[in-house]
Amino acid sequence: MPVAVVGTSHRTAPIEVRERFYVMEGRAESAVARVLCEKRVQECIVLSTCNRTEYYLHAADPGAAERAVTEAMAEQAGLSPERAAGYLYDHTGRDCVVHLFRVTCGIDSLVLGEHQIQGQVKTAYLRARERIPGSVGPVLHRLFQSAMAVGGRVRTETRIGEGAASVPSAATRLAEKVFGSLRGRVAMVLGAGEMGKLTLACLVREGVEGALVASRTLERAERVARSVGARAVPIEEFWGAFGRVDIVVTSTGSPSPILSARRVRAARGSVGRPLVVLDIALPRDVEPDVGRVPGVFLYNVDDLQRVVDSAEAERATELDVARTLIAEHAEAFWRWYRAREAIPLIRQLRSAAEAMRRAEIEEVLREMDSLAEEDRERIHRATRQLLAKLLHAPTVALRRLAADPDGLEALDVAKRLFQLDGGEGRGGG
Amino acid sequence: MILGSHLAALLCYLAAWVTHLEFFRRGRSSPDGRAVGATSAGFVFHLAGLVAFALHERALPLVGVGPASSTLALAVVAFTLGAAVRPDTRASGLFLLPLAVALLAEAILVGLHPAPRQLAFRGPWLVLHVTTVFAGFAGLALASAASAMYVLQFRTLKRKEFGSVFRFFPSLDALDRLGGLGLGIGFPALSVGLLAGWGWTLTYGPTLPPDDPQVVLAVVAWGSYLAAIGARLSPRWRGPRAALVSAAAFVATALAFVVLRLLADGTGDSFL
Repeated sequence: MPVAVVGTSHRTAPIEVRERFYVMEGRAESAVARVLCEKRVQECIVLSTCNRTEYYLHAADPGAAERAVTEAMAEQAGLSPERAAGYLYDHTGRDCVVHLFRVTCGIDSLVLGEHQIQGQVKTAYLRARERIPGSVGPVLHRLFQSAMAVGGRVRTETRIGEGAASVPSAATRLAEKVFGSLRGRVAMVLGAGEMGKLTLACLVREGVEGALVASRTLERAERVARSVGARAVPIEEFWGAFGRVDIVVTSTGSPSPILSARRVRAARGSVGRPLVVLDIALPRDVEPDVGRVPGVFLYNVDDLQRVVDSAEAERATELDVARTLIAEHAEAFWRWYRAREAIPLIRQLRSAAEAMRRAEIEEVLREMDSLAEEDRERIHRATRQLLAKLLHAPTVALRRLAADPDGLEALDVAKRLFQLDGGEGRGGG
Repeated sequence: MILGSHLAALLCYLAAWVTHLEFFRRGRSSPDGRAVGATSAGFVFHLAGLVAFALHERALPLVGVGPASSTLALAVVAFTLGAAVRPDTRASGLFLLPLAVALLAEAILVGLHPAPRQLAFRGPWLVLHVTTVFAGFAGLALASAASAMYVLQFRTLKRKEFGSVFRFFPSLDALDRLGGLGLGIGFPALSVGLLAGWGWTLTYGPTLPPDDPQVVLAVVAWGSYLAAIGARLSPRWRGPRAALVSAAAFVATALAFVVLRLLADGTGDSFL
């Protein structure tokens, strides 16, 4: 009875398709309940983020379960099952385990090594466990616990998630290297372009307060300011505000530089604190000499890109370490999972032996009808103990054989030896 | 017990320093809990060794070259651990731990024996004097480590070199705060210590000759501190120049210490 995953992500579907598959928070319960209606699905957890929607399953018949999930996802997205299938992928067994571990570690993310996904995996698991009774059994519980464990190890033992992944985040990182925490710092954007807006949004997320947007068109400045929780100022007030800010982002479409060293010196006056100037415009808005003004740290778009490239290179070197950790945890999970294969076999063996014992003892006791009830119970107890001792070693051996990748043949021999089929009682334990 | 604890502490400090170096080499953002754990373990061993010394010798490890070096090393490690409380200033161990290792190694090599003669200057006055002076030296070491890192990080940011220094060293703001903290704690401590020594001398002892190595070291250290604080307070000198003065202040004090140690009379009474 394998584990399986069916889903879609940024790798297989564009955003306009992904948003159709997205399972909103309040609807996860009904989505999982629908999949659990398929009789051969024992457990189900749905993970839905802006970049992926995946159904993790523990099912007796993964093929049927995958079909059921495809139908459910297609219906939600308003697509035909055939069309939906074009955006979906599925993994079964060990591939599913490795896939979830890769997802949790951020290796499958749009931004390599991002940590947010770990919290989302945890939330998906907790939500299913707490709100959808019966959706999480021992297998998915163990699978998700292992995923969170390997995610934690990759986060602490590698630097896969460190460093800037985009120009706006590189800008934030540089500002943080000067100011430490950006809480309470003041930033100003000159120009109302998209990159300037993204950079300011990134800075605001990191705690920048009193953000200002200055643009030649006040309306555009106000529009940008509203979208990031900043305040628009007329372009005429730019130099007046210059002396009060800690970070300046320039992203105008001006054909020639706007900020010269002379003007920056004059505007800063005797202000002693540092100023970070991030020139993300092309052509540049800031003369290179501004970087020589005391206390001013000037970076252009090439510098920011170098920060991103260097972080990316570092992340890539950590991938091997992360992959090794994932393989290690996948192996551990797989051993545990395979060991479960022995459970129905052990149950069968024990119940067959117990039936045999009871039949034989009952027959003997029928011939000894003068025996007191107390003595009869004593004989039952002694033979039960004897049986438990006899079966202890085979039980341990069966568990070991199941966990061993090369133990399948030996398990078959054991089945033949004890005349067991291994089918009865599956899914228990 | 005394030597064993000191050796264990030395090994722990070395392990912590190697961890810092490895993190720096790999360009990590700051050393993790292993480095702090090793430093803390070393501190516990170190403290146990000094307590054992005090119990065994019935004297605090404040006089005699070996015990005093060991106590000063402990003060430096205490400041290192204090800086490690905040992850953003944990990297300062890269500069402070080798200093602690050097002092402790010297203590072990010289021998952890009490001063051969009993000093006239003893009792609570001596304890106050030595502990505060050591806190002053450790504060100066912290301030100068933070300042040296500030200068390097500043240069990296100006030159746009996004390598190991950029990633491992803390932000300029964090280093500036750490430097200020070192001076803020160390300078009053050193001043109190020097006043305690001077006060005792005026009250009970003979006048200290101006060429006494301890007086020279005290004047150099106090003057260096004063220069570092003055540079920080001056609006024109703030930033990298003030950091350079702080780093130079420590170098001047350390040089004075080494020279005076070489010229010392070898009685082994004092720290020098």
